[in-house]
Amino acid sequence: MARLLLLLWSLGPMLWQLVSSLRTSDALSGLASGGWTLEHYRQLLQGDPPFLTYLLNSAVVGVCSTALTLALAVPCAYALTRIGRRQARSLTLLVAAAAAFPAVLLFLALLELARDWHLANQLLALSLPYAGLCLPLAILLLQAAFADIPIELEEAALIEGMGLWQRLRWVLLPLLAPAMASSALLVFLFSWNEYPIALTWLSRTELLTLAPAMARIAGSSVYTIPYGAFAAATVLGSAPLIALMLLFQRQIISGLTQGAIKG
Amino acid sequence: MRWRLWLLMAPALALLLAVFAVPLLHYLWLSTQAQSVLTGLLPEPIGAQQWLRLWNDSRFWQDTWQTLRFSAASVSLEMLLGLAIALLLDQPLRGRGVLRTISLLPWALPTTVMALGWRWIFNDPYGPINRLVAGLGLPAIPFLSNPAITWMAAVGADTWKTTPFVALLLLAGLQAIPADLYEAAALEGATPWQSLRRITLPLLTPYLLIALLFRLAQALGVFDLIQVLTGGGPAGSTESLALYAYLNAMRFLDFGYSATLLLGSFAILLVLCGAAALLWRGNSRLQGALR
Amino acid sequence: MSSSTPAGFMGLELCALSRQVGSHTLVDQLSLQVAPGEILALLGPSGCGKSSTLRLIAGLDRASSGEIRLGGRVITALAPAERQVAMVFQSYALFPHLSVERNLSLGMELRGLAKAEIQHQLEQVLALMQLEGLRQRKPAELSGGQRQRVALARALIRRPALFLLDEPMSNLDAQLRDNLRAELRTLLRSTGVPVVYVTHDQHEAMGLADRIAVLREGRLQQLGTAETLYRDPTNRFVARFLGSPSINLIERGEEQLGLRPELLELAEAGSPVPQGWEALEGELSHREWLGDRVISHVHCPGQASLKVLSREAPADGALQLRWRQAHALRFEARSGKRLPGSGAAHPS
Repeated sequence: MARLLLLLWSLGPMLWQLVSSLRTSDALSGLASGGWTLEHYRQLLQGDPPFLTYLLNSAVVGVCSTALTLALAVPCAYALTRIGRRQARSLTLLVAAAAAFPAVLLFLALLELARDWHLANQLLALSLPYAGLCLPLAILLLQAAFADIPIELEEAALIEGMGLWQRLRWVLLPLLAPAMASSALLVFLFSWNEYPIALTWLSRTELLTLAPAMARIAGSSVYTIPYGAFAAATVLGSAPLIALMLLFQRQIISGLTQGAIKG
Repeated sequence: MRWRLWLLMAPALALLLAVFAVPLLHYLWLSTQAQSVLTGLLPEPIGAQQWLRLWNDSRFWQDTWQTLRFSAASVSLEMLLGLAIALLLDQPLRGRGVLRTISLLPWALPTTVMALGWRWIFNDPYGPINRLVAGLGLPAIPFLSNPAITWMAAVGADTWKTTPFVALLLLAGLQAIPADLYEAAALEGATPWQSLRRITLPLLTPYLLIALLFRLAQALGVFDLIQVLTGGGPAGSTESLALYAYLNAMRFLDFGYSATLLLGSFAILLVLCGAAALLWRGNSRLQGALR
Repeated sequence: MSSSTPAGFMGLELCALSRQVGSHTLVDQLSLQVAPGEILALLGPSGCGKSSTLRLIAGLDRASSGEIRLGGRVITALAPAERQVAMVFQSYALFPHLSVERNLSLGMELRGLAKAEIQHQLEQVLALMQLEGLRQRKPAELSGGQRQRVALARALIRRPALFLLDEPMSNLDAQLRDNLRAELRTLLRSTGVPVVYVTHDQHEAMGLADRIAVLREGRLQQLGTAETLYRDPTNRFVARFLGSPSINLIERGEEQLGLRPELLELAEAGSPVPQGWEALEGELSHREWLGDRVISHVHCPGQASLKVLSREAPADGALQLRWRQAHALRFEARSGKRLPGSGAAHPS
């Protein structure tokens, strides 16, 4: 019974969107009963720009932010586990505080930075603030994973004559793969969902990522009775993430809990 | 050796400083400037005037109240529901893994996407809830047009989205409690309620605290949801501090005051999260002393 | 062994080696030598500095002062890789994501050895360690003994100038440990290089090593063969650390007499004490049956329980415990220092 309630609570709103997106506008406003259609999806996909552009933009920013975050977080997390307990503890505390910090409070200063450095309306430049905002979580996660690797493994490699890069490449990173996958997924999710910074950095329609595009659709009056289109947009915007969740649920869940707990 | 480690951290630390520390310092400076349409968008030093303006701004205080109300309601709801869901998912039931994944789905959706979805669900009169209400022959609920109700609708939508996160965290905490503690308690004849009260909750405390602090910080900065779901309306009754600061910067082009508002929000956040942490620590120490 | 350094000594030498971390002294002015082909055991309780010493020799930690020489060359400041040492870790530290074969060959590959050469050496060591059948296995799929063989193989394949082992047996069960001791000794001997073997297990040290260095709180207590250490310990710590059951300490005011359990004899209560002997009257508290021998625990007034190792079990009740005066080791009660002129005449 409780399980059924939980299912209904989690899935109900999403199913309602799916159903709505397939109904005709007349059916939605109660003017007619019945009536199923793909019209809303056609409208979205043939819009100007087509809805897929937003998805693509989000994906590009997501992949780029993820790569940048990992490239910065892995060496940092490694150094944090090797630098000695006292320095590591205070740094980790700061990083944990940053991980909980609501990013929206930073939008204004980041916008000014974007203006000063001519980064506004540059899709890939969004990766910079995104990587910065995701670094705390990624560092915490990877630091915990590094700490779980017995130090003797690295020492054995050291005695074998491996340099720092070789030790990372051949010994540490292969063992870190699960934690890297978790962090990568969480960073990707964050970038995909981030709103205030994308909203202020991007103004050209064809560059919008999904989140500000959704808000723009919500605010527009292009559609006469727009709820069918809204629902279709919701479905299209959620589908890639739901697929991602279902495919990688184990990594996401472990990353989420590890990151929060070790922090 | 030591310097090499610092070198490895340097790029990450530099970006962290640029994204977190530089903005906060910049706000400190900006909050002593007038930078708006009136000054031709150029900064002019005006001392503490922005802070005085903040102090006398009834809209700031109203938004503070609304933000606190929203945060208190949604965070406590999320903690309670999250705990309930975590306890449910901790039971050795069939299909637990699938259920866990499904229940996490709302958390993964972009806030703007799901806010738009909820706008449709709350629609008057075509949303599913109001159709149900109409089917029962009752008057439609003006979810998004009545100031007394709209903020609760926002709390509902936020709870739907973020409870899974809390539940997942608490579930991890529950699973870290060794089963033999419960077995020992059962041998002593403890009732389920007693073992929840005496074993589960005390051992779950660190997880509850982390979830509380994290959620509280995020709720106090609520922006995406409000902006898309209600736009702050009706009549500003759901406007949050972050939204007010956003409007000042992007609509009224009053950057100095926007920075002051952002710093003000940050201060409130700091005080509340600090108080929560201290309160919790004091409380657990008290309990430790009593036990 | 002479204590002065022969010119051009080709083994391993530690000269006044120290390591401090903060106000903590882990290794204190340690000096010793290990000849090529010799196995030296570093023995002591946990925290005595034996592993710290090994890490200094390997180059994993930096020495605060003192010198390490290998083959006449000072290696104190060299990186681990440049010392040409091989080390077997307590946990074996096998790379869990690599097969046995790759665990052995990775170092050579990264050092840029030719493929054919790598293959040749690999086959050789796999054959030597009887690992041919396991080459594709991951460490997680191996038993404890097999893992140890892989770890040894990885060390051997380096052709090291110095062999270091950190408690390599402690993860194996007791039975296997006993069986492997002789095998390991032969293998280590065959390398012809100095071997330093860290252990907290006296049986292992006595069974494997040519000489044993007993450490306590970072300081060398005594260095010598197992027999010397057992018969002629320099202080109470060494006397108590070696031997099982452990040595009896009989209180004598300012002094303590150290008597090995096998050197105590039991007699009927109140028997006359012969010339050159000493005795205590006591009561049997309980017996421990070992099969071929028995340990009798005797309670004497004013003494801790004393252990006597004998072939036959005594009857219950009052009895006399006696020993040849010449067999007793005399220690200063407070410092534990060995007093001169005791324990000279020791039976063999």
